[in-house]
Amino acid sequence: MAKPRRQRRPRTTLVILVLVSITLITLEARGQLGSVTSGAKSLASDAMDPVRSAVDAVVRPIGSFFAGSVEYGAVQRQNEKLQEEIGALRQQAAERSNAVQRLSQLSELDHLPFVGSLQTVPAEVIDENASNFAATIEIDVGQANGVALGMPVVGYGGLVGQVVGDQRHTATVRLITDGQSVVGATYGKSTAALAVVDGNGSGRPLSGNLVPPGTVLHRGEVFTTSGLQGAVYPPGIPVAEVVSSRTTPSASQESVTLRPMAQLSGMAYVSVVLWGPPS
Amino acid sequence: MTAQSVARVSLVVVLFAVVQQVFLLGVRIDGAHPDVMVLLVVAAGVVGGPRQGALMGFGAGLVADLFLPTPFGLSALTGCLVGFGVGLSTVAFDDSAWWLPTVAALVGSAVYEVGYGMLGVLLGQPQMMHVDYVAIVLVVALANTILAVPAVRIVGWSLPAPQVESVPSVTISPGVRR
Repeated sequence: MAKPRRQRRPRTTLVILVLVSITLITLEARGQLGSVTSGAKSLASDAMDPVRSAVDAVVRPIGSFFAGSVEYGAVQRQNEKLQEEIGALRQQAAERSNAVQRLSQLSELDHLPFVGSLQTVPAEVIDENASNFAATIEIDVGQANGVALGMPVVGYGGLVGQVVGDQRHTATVRLITDGQSVVGATYGKSTAALAVVDGNGSGRPLSGNLVPPGTVLHRGEVFTTSGLQGAVYPPGIPVAEVVSSRTTPSASQESVTLRPMAQLSGMAYVSVVLWGPPS
Repeated sequence: MTAQSVARVSLVVVLFAVVQQVFLLGVRIDGAHPDVMVLLVVAAGVVGGPRQGALMGFGAGLVADLFLPTPFGLSALTGCLVGFGVGLSTVAFDDSAWWLPTVAALVGSAVYEVGYGMLGVLLGQPQMMHVDYVAIVLVVALANTILAVPAVRIVGWSLPAPQVESVPSVTISPGVRR
């Protein structure tokens, strides 16, 4: 015969765990768990950093070596006698080429015209999309560098996203392509033309909303941050350019498809703008 | 659970978290990456039954949530439900069957990913609807299917033997009619 009292134990355990989970989610959504989870995430991130760096230090030269093999394969074949020496030189060259490329990206970040006099902190992208369900990046600067929640993040070309998690030495940035991202923007020659740029998920085009039906938009026309009172981004940062625009009959707004101005995949460096909305 | 079991389980959870964070986040196939934290939950359900599956799902989920931008507790909620479900649906099978870990990893991972997204939407994260579920389910489920056998062995080493009382038992005495 079954033992009903004991059979219930797994179910009781499950019910308790489900209730605890829902409580945690609710408390976090209401902001009552913010400092605890932020501290725990900070600790976890700090603990994982040395391991990640150590593995990266081992893996990156191997990757560079193979990259070099592709680039200098012909030289290798012509100099079989000096294969070992050339292999070493190739590796150095690939690493240097990689370094030059990264330096070029960094110097581009130093001369972003749209940032103006705003103070920025350069950051290296250490991870992309930690979750399959959110478009985010992890960067190697955090509270210790003056980074705080809500700060805009820009890259070469335009707006990248916003800081949504600030640990001590790292931060999580929600990209403008994420489904939760909403950016107030202006377009055209008049600053009075306002719109909202919504993310639709990683790798998908952005949507321009609240554009009145019949508005003439040209391919390549740029939407920039509006910076209106209460906006979460300063004004004048390029957000996206028009890919297509059409008016559907009886629609209350123009259907606008946009492409981010910043190259959001494969970014090596970004800049955090040390800016907060005026209180 | 003995102190030794706790230490072993903690070690295994940390090992899976490190593998996930250090090695697998960079592996992208059609925009999705494998997720061995899900495999840990499925393996615990196969090895330890519904109760240990749910406990591991909750614990591993909380650890995973420390590294995710999604709401804290969502992985724990999905994990305990999937761990329990895998434990319940595999408890009737001989856990030494060669096919059990792979089939459980394939189905369990797919259910986890879809369930995670749906629970996220239900709990106020509508953007989780706008992801490529086909790519995510395929990448996570296939990667976990490949890694299922070693994962079950590692989790089997860490978990204490499942409690017999959690499994329904029937005693038949001769001479007694229904």
